[in-house]
Amino acid sequence: MRIKILDPTIAAERADSVVAKRVADLDGKILGLLSNSKVNGDHLLDLVHQRLVARYRIEGVVRMTKTSASRVADGAMLDALARDCDVVVTAIGD
Amino acid sequence: MNLPAKLTAAELWVDGWAEGVDEYFERGWSDGLPVVPATEEAVCRFLEAAGHEPSDVIITEPVRRRTITAEKVAINAVLAGCRPEYMHVVLTALRAMGDPAFTLHGAITSTGGSATLVVVNGPIRQRLGFNSGTNVLGPGARANATVGRAIRLITLNCLGAQPGVLDKSTQGHPGKYSYCIAENEDENPWQPLHVERGFPPETSTVTVFAAEAPHNVLTHYGETADAILLTLADTMASLGSFSGGQSFVVLAPEHVKILARDGWTKPRIKAELYARARRTRADLKRAGKLAGAVEPGDDSAWVHRGNDPEDIHIVVAGGGAGGHSAFIPSWSRYRNSLAVTREIPS
Repeated sequence: MRIKILDPTIAAERADSVVAKRVADLDGKILGLLSNSKVNGDHLLDLVHQRLVARYRIEGVVRMTKTSASRVADGAMLDALARDCDVVVTAIGD
Repeated sequence: MNLPAKLTAAELWVDGWAEGVDEYFERGWSDGLPVVPATEEAVCRFLEAAGHEPSDVIITEPVRRRTITAEKVAINAVLAGCRPEYMHVVLTALRAMGDPAFTLHGAITSTGGSATLVVVNGPIRQRLGFNSGTNVLGPGARANATVGRAIRLITLNCLGAQPGVLDKSTQGHPGKYSYCIAENEDENPWQPLHVERGFPPETSTVTVFAAEAPHNVLTHYGETADAILLTLADTMASLGSFSGGQSFVVLAPEHVKILARDGWTKPRIKAELYARARRTRADLKRAGKLAGAVEPGDDSAWVHRGNDPEDIHIVVAGGGAGGHSAFIPSWSRYRNSLAVTREIPS
């Protein structure tokens, strides 16, 4: 006898988003560096920082670290990065 | 009974029961063991027992943006082999896992390979037949086995924690099939876990904890409190699982009798275990648990397991015979994931 069975899975909800406006270069810009707080994530960001300041006349750097690698960055942190920075680099180190 | 025609899950037609079991395997919707095919009739019975509409939202996981409805919980509970009346326990455990303090996404995807330890307290233990005695951490009782399994299947099917996809556990552990115990409150001379955590004794609760596998703590001949505490603390201080995370200590009734006889209370046991479960900074550095080279003073600088004695949760469970307790370390090495307790609606 044929039986009907049900799918136990769910898909992620679709969320539309728009890519932020790209910057042509980093001269005169404020660079954000967001660490996921894991060991070595800071080293990765240090290297990125060194490379970028050697290549561009970066106006300033804002460094932030998530309170937990396992959680999303809190809203206040994301708002501050959006407000204060022209670009943000984030790194997942471990 | 009337079927509430509101189920929205995709439907699949198969040639029979055995083909249904195979279909779940083939689609990767199983934990590797056969599941009970979820028919519309069964899922409706489970929803009715839970008093939920199919579309009721139970939790939303913010990292992957997954919203889990009562319908999907019911489907997975059927797959796991639950009885309809277990739904309240599964739903409450899932709600507790949705508390931000639990950090659900991290706990189910990390290389650390944790499983959700589910601890059931209160009158519902007897009503639904949860095992809190012999072989409490092993197989045998349908309520324990299938509630724990339902939680695993929900993480697999609803949260994408399939091995190698989002679940990147380096090794995992057997508790990832099912990891549900009840407290043996009859053998507990102290407050049970839920009362200690602020709930009235007559309520039933679920406590969830993102946990490593249990570590056996054996003291057959140590018929003194000191022997038991020494062995427990030594296990808790072992380097492999040493961290600043919380701990569960599942005390066997035989150990409990000795501790109570010698006048030990829960707060005193916690304080003593916290004091003894420690390593020097030098040890932690040599073992690669802390970064950096050993420096002067590190050999006499002590680091304790957890933040304070309240990070040690004590539960009484197990059979009457045998000096086997268990230490269950947290998955979290810091404060990323903490035990969460919720009341089960009656």
